[in-house]
Amino acid sequence: MTTIDRVAAVTSKELLLEWRGRQTATAMGMVALLVILFLGVVLGSEPARAPAVLWVAMGFATVLGIPRLTQAEVEQQALETLLLYPGSREHIYWGKFLALVVMLTALLAFLWALVGVLFNIPIWTHLPALIGIGVLGVIGLAAIGTLLAGVVLHVRARELLMPLLLLPLALPVVLGCVRLTEAALAGRGEGMWLVVLGVFGLTALLVCPILFEVVMEEP
Amino acid sequence: MSNPDPPAASADIPAIAATALTRRFGRAWAVRDLTFAVPPRSVLLVVGPNGSGKTTLLRLLATALRPTSGKATVFGHDVVAHAEMVRAQVAFVSATPGVYDSLTARENLQFAAAMCGRRFEPMTLWLERVGLAGLGEHPVRTFSQGMKRRLALARAWLAVPSVLILDEPYNGLDAEGVRLVHTMVTETTQRGGCAVVATQEWERGRRIADGVLVLSGGRLADHAPAAHFAAHILTMAGSHP
Repeated sequence: MTTIDRVAAVTSKELLLEWRGRQTATAMGMVALLVILFLGVVLGSEPARAPAVLWVAMGFATVLGIPRLTQAEVEQQALETLLLYPGSREHIYWGKFLALVVMLTALLAFLWALVGVLFNIPIWTHLPALIGIGVLGVIGLAAIGTLLAGVVLHVRARELLMPLLLLPLALPVVLGCVRLTEAALAGRGEGMWLVVLGVFGLTALLVCPILFEVVMEEP
Repeated sequence: MSNPDPPAASADIPAIAATALTRRFGRAWAVRDLTFAVPPRSVLLVVGPNGSGKTTLLRLLATALRPTSGKATVFGHDVVAHAEMVRAQVAFVSATPGVYDSLTARENLQFAAAMCGRRFEPMTLWLERVGLAGLGEHPVRTFSQGMKRRLALARAWLAVPSVLILDEPYNGLDAEGVRLVHTMVTETTQRGGCAVVATQEWERGRRIADGVLVLSGGRLADHAPAAHFAAHILTMAGSHP
């Protein structure tokens, strides 16, 4: 019960801070919007382009949002206090991971609505498949993203470092989500990428919390 | 932190024991070869000039830092090998309050309570205890430094720690705030725990201290019962760079 309490406390604290500041949501939303509009203009608004445009926008928005996941602790010098609470530091990982999942899910829903209108895609027809793909994509991005938020915590230029770290690691997620979304919109199956995304997400969820504990240890 | 029954009842185990405790940052020695023990039900005052290693020592005991060499235990638990068990018994209030400005005072305490496994604590009571009654719904960013420190004290207090570690606890506090610190320390020791207080304010700290540890240049300059502690030792420590 204490584990659930701690994870829930971290998640609700992160979401409450975000709700009060709305900095991460605004920044992620603006970047995603700009990427979609920019790529939409450059590549054209054919429905076949939509999956790639959408998930590239998600990738870049995640890059921008992740460093802010630990910003409150850095700015208010609350990191040490957070790390010295009793219990495993994995609880902090899971709390921040869930908060990021909520934020990315909200962003994805907003972007799907936007892409649906701009690229003329009948989202409702494919909704169950798109939700499934969204869950896998968001989990993959959030799992790696939360770990990287810990990795770059003490780096001064963390906004610069984040794309270099996240984009290569998130490539299987973005690519898999693009291929699966294309397949879903075309009404065909794409078993291989489903397995890739599933295995990636599962591995990330198993490994990242452990690595998070390691990177949060004082050297 | 959430240990209502401190193992201090066992008088054989020192509350804190350090053996040749050393910490180095790069090539600089922050603390070096510190060996001392703190019995249960006692208060250790750590004094020394700036840069003498007081904060480093406290952070080592709180598991915020790992020793470069040597060892330290808290009620028998090694601060490296059993860091989680140590954290379950220790509450550390650093020199900066470390509270979330965008949250209210009550939300800050609720978060701390949940993290300590005490989410059903009556927050109003804790706010009253630290003199913040009626301010629970105010955002912390509207608080003065002293009020933030009181909130940080409440956060540590509600965890009912066996070992209370306070770094410069008198900073920004008025006379009532100082009494609050002393009440908190006394409560901890009466429960069988201990307190380690690092301060520059010897006159305030000596009122609660049982023992005094003097650091100078990261080394142990003296460790003596507070009652026998001579003022010239402090002067001697202060004369070192």
